[in-house]
Amino acid sequence: MSAVWSAAWAAVRRRMLQTIVIGVVVCASTATIVMALGLLESAAAPFDRAFATQRGAHLAAAFDPSKTSEDQLRHAAGQTESAGPFAQSTLDTSTGEIFMGTLTVAGRADPGGPVDRLTVWEGRWATAPGEIVLNRAPGGEGRTNLGFQLTAAGRPTLTVVGFAHSVTGSADAWVTPEQVKALQPTALQMLYRFPNAGTAAEVAEGQKAVTAGLPEGALLGTLSHLTVKDKATSELGVFIPFLLIFGVLGLVVAVLIVANVVSGAVVAGFRHIGMLKALGFTPGQVMAVYLVMVSIPAVAGCVLGTLAGNVFAKPVVQDAVEGFGVTELSFAPWVNAVALLGMPALVISAALVPAIRARRLPAAQAISAGTTARTGRALRVQRWLSGTPLPRSVSLGLGVPFARAGRSALTLASVVLGVMTVTLATGVTMSVTAYNEAVRPSYDDRVEVLAGRPEGMPVLRTPEMGEPPAASLSDADDEKMLRSLPGTAAVMAVSQLETEVAGGTQNATIFFYRGDTSSLGPRVLTGHWPDGPGQVAAPSRFLNQRGLAVGDTITVQAKENRTQLKIVGVVLTNNEDQIFADWTALNVLAPGTRAHSYQVKFAPGTDRAAFTAAIGQGDPGLRVLPPRDGSSSTAVILISASVLLTLVLGAVAALGVFNTVVLNARERRRDFGMLKSIGMTPRQVTVMLSTSMGALGVVGGLVGVPVGVAVHQLLVPAMAHAGQADAVDILMDVYHAPALVLLALAGVVIAVLGALVPARGAAHLSIATVLHNE
Amino acid sequence: MNNDVVVAISDLRKEYADSVALNGVSLTVRAGEAVAVMGPSGSGKSTLLNMIAGLDRPTSGSVVVHGTDLGSLDETGLALFRRRGIGMIFQFFNLLDDLSALDNVALAAQLTGTPASQARKRALELFGELGISNRRNVYPARLSGGERQRVAVARALMNRPALLLADEPTGALDSRSGEQVMDLLLDLNQIGQTLLLVTHDERLATRCASRVVEVVDGRIAREQSLERTS
Repeated sequence: MSAVWSAAWAAVRRRMLQTIVIGVVVCASTATIVMALGLLESAAAPFDRAFATQRGAHLAAAFDPSKTSEDQLRHAAGQTESAGPFAQSTLDTSTGEIFMGTLTVAGRADPGGPVDRLTVWEGRWATAPGEIVLNRAPGGEGRTNLGFQLTAAGRPTLTVVGFAHSVTGSADAWVTPEQVKALQPTALQMLYRFPNAGTAAEVAEGQKAVTAGLPEGALLGTLSHLTVKDKATSELGVFIPFLLIFGVLGLVVAVLIVANVVSGAVVAGFRHIGMLKALGFTPGQVMAVYLVMVSIPAVAGCVLGTLAGNVFAKPVVQDAVEGFGVTELSFAPWVNAVALLGMPALVISAALVPAIRARRLPAAQAISAGTTARTGRALRVQRWLSGTPLPRSVSLGLGVPFARAGRSALTLASVVLGVMTVTLATGVTMSVTAYNEAVRPSYDDRVEVLAGRPEGMPVLRTPEMGEPPAASLSDADDEKMLRSLPGTAAVMAVSQLETEVAGGTQNATIFFYRGDTSSLGPRVLTGHWPDGPGQVAAPSRFLNQRGLAVGDTITVQAKENRTQLKIVGVVLTNNEDQIFADWTALNVLAPGTRAHSYQVKFAPGTDRAAFTAAIGQGDPGLRVLPPRDGSSSTAVILISASVLLTLVLGAVAALGVFNTVVLNARERRRDFGMLKSIGMTPRQVTVMLSTSMGALGVVGGLVGVPVGVAVHQLLVPAMAHAGQADAVDILMDVYHAPALVLLALAGVVIAVLGALVPARGAAHLSIATVLHNE
Repeated sequence: MNNDVVVAISDLRKEYADSVALNGVSLTVRAGEAVAVMGPSGSGKSTLLNMIAGLDRPTSGSVVVHGTDLGSLDETGLALFRRRGIGMIFQFFNLLDDLSALDNVALAAQLTGTPASQARKRALELFGELGISNRRNVYPARLSGGERQRVAVARALMNRPALLLADEPTGALDSRSGEQVMDLLLDLNQIGQTLLLVTHDERLATRCASRVVEVVDGRIAREQSLERTS
């Protein structure tokens, strides 16, 4: 074995460049795969683990206490594992020191029980009147600490004595059963675990069983654990198909390049193989030499890649999973194990075929083998190219790929994948940017004007704005004033109402719009914009997370009023907790409410500062918000990841080209020497070798771009689905002719960049040395 | 023979890391001459040829070919000089395996920008003159050694160089092929082609050269004018 090791180690040192290429390629690919696998593992595991530990509720249901009793609920549950009924109340914190929205508060004697076993991770459980425990993910930070006094109008002051976490999200806070009675409960909460709850149908079946026999209308709303999980993983889910694709791409590129490098090493080592055999190495030993030679850099690259993946991927994954309350992220052992064992196995598999070829090669044939295989096709192509009017350095270069068709095919595949990666990443970036602009516009063409505090919201006070807004004019006069300003193109008045959607803890904010909603309101994807009371439009994420569709009706509670709203349209916005209604609906729900803000679109060429000043003159009580930062963390992470992965995989593809040119240049040293001896300039040699790869780059571009576009068309809907959004046209139609041309050129850029350094090296070969080393 | 100086070498020295290949060599080759450089292995004769061809650079001294000081040229300038100024023949022919014999020869002209059709026409003329017209479409792997060297000679002559350099042109050939190549070189010289040969082969030198320069340990040990044997 020592002889094999010695020979392999010597080969590694002699082929240092190829060794480095293998190591770098494996390193980059391993890091990409660790990142993708780590994210996949992190995406599923925290929720599932916590859900299992807490015996989370498969279904949380809210019942109307005026229509059913606690005994009826217990009886209806039968043998099904359940917890409750817990009296449930809502706590409006809008008048408190710190605004926390409308809290769903359940009365529970203890955090344990057969279902929804809460984890009290700080402080203790509420055991006395005046105490409250808030729901917060472990390690999560908020504006309240232990001992904080929570006040709500008309309700007793409650002191925060602990923080607990419910994976089910059964409530925002808990108090004792006695205390909740003082909070005027409006519903009874039941938590159920079903024997089978893996699908929506099974959950629905379970729901049917536990609500059978209850009076009609008793069930106010439900929350499935599938919905909770979807919501918890929706942001993260956007990354999964994205990184999975890039992980697979990294893997394929690594296999191709390793196959290219290793087969090239065998061909370049024909004489070496012959010598080994002549020295008495058995065929098996020769094969072992080549496998060990490849394994050394592969193992080193794999270890470094795993480390790099853990170090560099964690910030991205951490950002994505922080919603689970995960503070110390560590990838599961299997992720690193797969990378550490799988990648070398992959590399060795790729090396096996050429190594077997080396094993079978007769010693005499190996020693006397020529440098470059000449096939009939290659000769015919060269003959044809000789007669073309192309500069000779170019025509010679164009013929080079045909001399080693297999190697050229592998290189071409690398370039195709590189171009495809660039195309895909560019498309994803454009899609994310377009979507972000649509749902979170930067408002370059409009101003947002605050008129006052929205109903149920705290006083807005920011350093940038100075005094809080307090409109001097009436709502109608403000709108009239805004419409009359020079440069005004459209005006939309906005008001909002915090509501609780029946079932679970899912609150929603209803936005009421008046005026030019068609140009300033959210884009309607399906259905229509609400045009009367009792109607509402919602984003897909709102509907998907609650299992709703256009035509369904939801029950919302605002203050003490409960009403039903029919969903009439789907709008393109990203916030799952915001729904939209026409002003006429506000007149029914909260008559007399004025607009708390306006959106004013100004005509092109209007000076924003002058326009803002004019608004201030029209009504000094209005406050114009500073321009929005249109970015989102998801968009930033996706775009950053796109750029990072494009650079990594593009560089890996360029390394493949680099390696091919190194191999070609090494094999053709004598040819280059001769060509230079008859007057080929160094520049012509560089052009010749760059052209040889540039041709592959052109083909790679022509093939890679359509493939990249096709993958984009598959990937983006998957990402949108995972993010519970719609694959709307702005996500899909991102490629335009000029961009496609530029993307096709990416193949040439990858190929020429990869070829340039070794080509210049070949151009400056010493002729005397080459021609005398016969 | 006219007296125009084609090659003028003055006090040429070439050092490598641990040896001196040429040490104070001065040599003049006039137009129409056929000079054979002889000497034992490692004496520096191939290094001398490389200096004249611009394939390598001297440590000191000068090489002037056709009035051009090669030391003043950069890599591109040297390539352009080799393209037009000289033709080279190698012991191992150095033909491109994936080009036919005709395309190998035409290549030299195409590098100068000559269109493919004209280059092939000129190559065909040379093939006719060298008696290998019937082998023009054959690839090097299927040519005999003598035929390969004739193709190499045709390539060297393609751009009508004033100086033909040959490095052991018969070294890899059997005796019959070697004879044919000798005849070819002799014929070329007799029609005015200036020739500089590096060879071990005394028969080649005495048959083709008008002057023999013997290099020993990097110095010119002896120069001798010859009466050709044929």
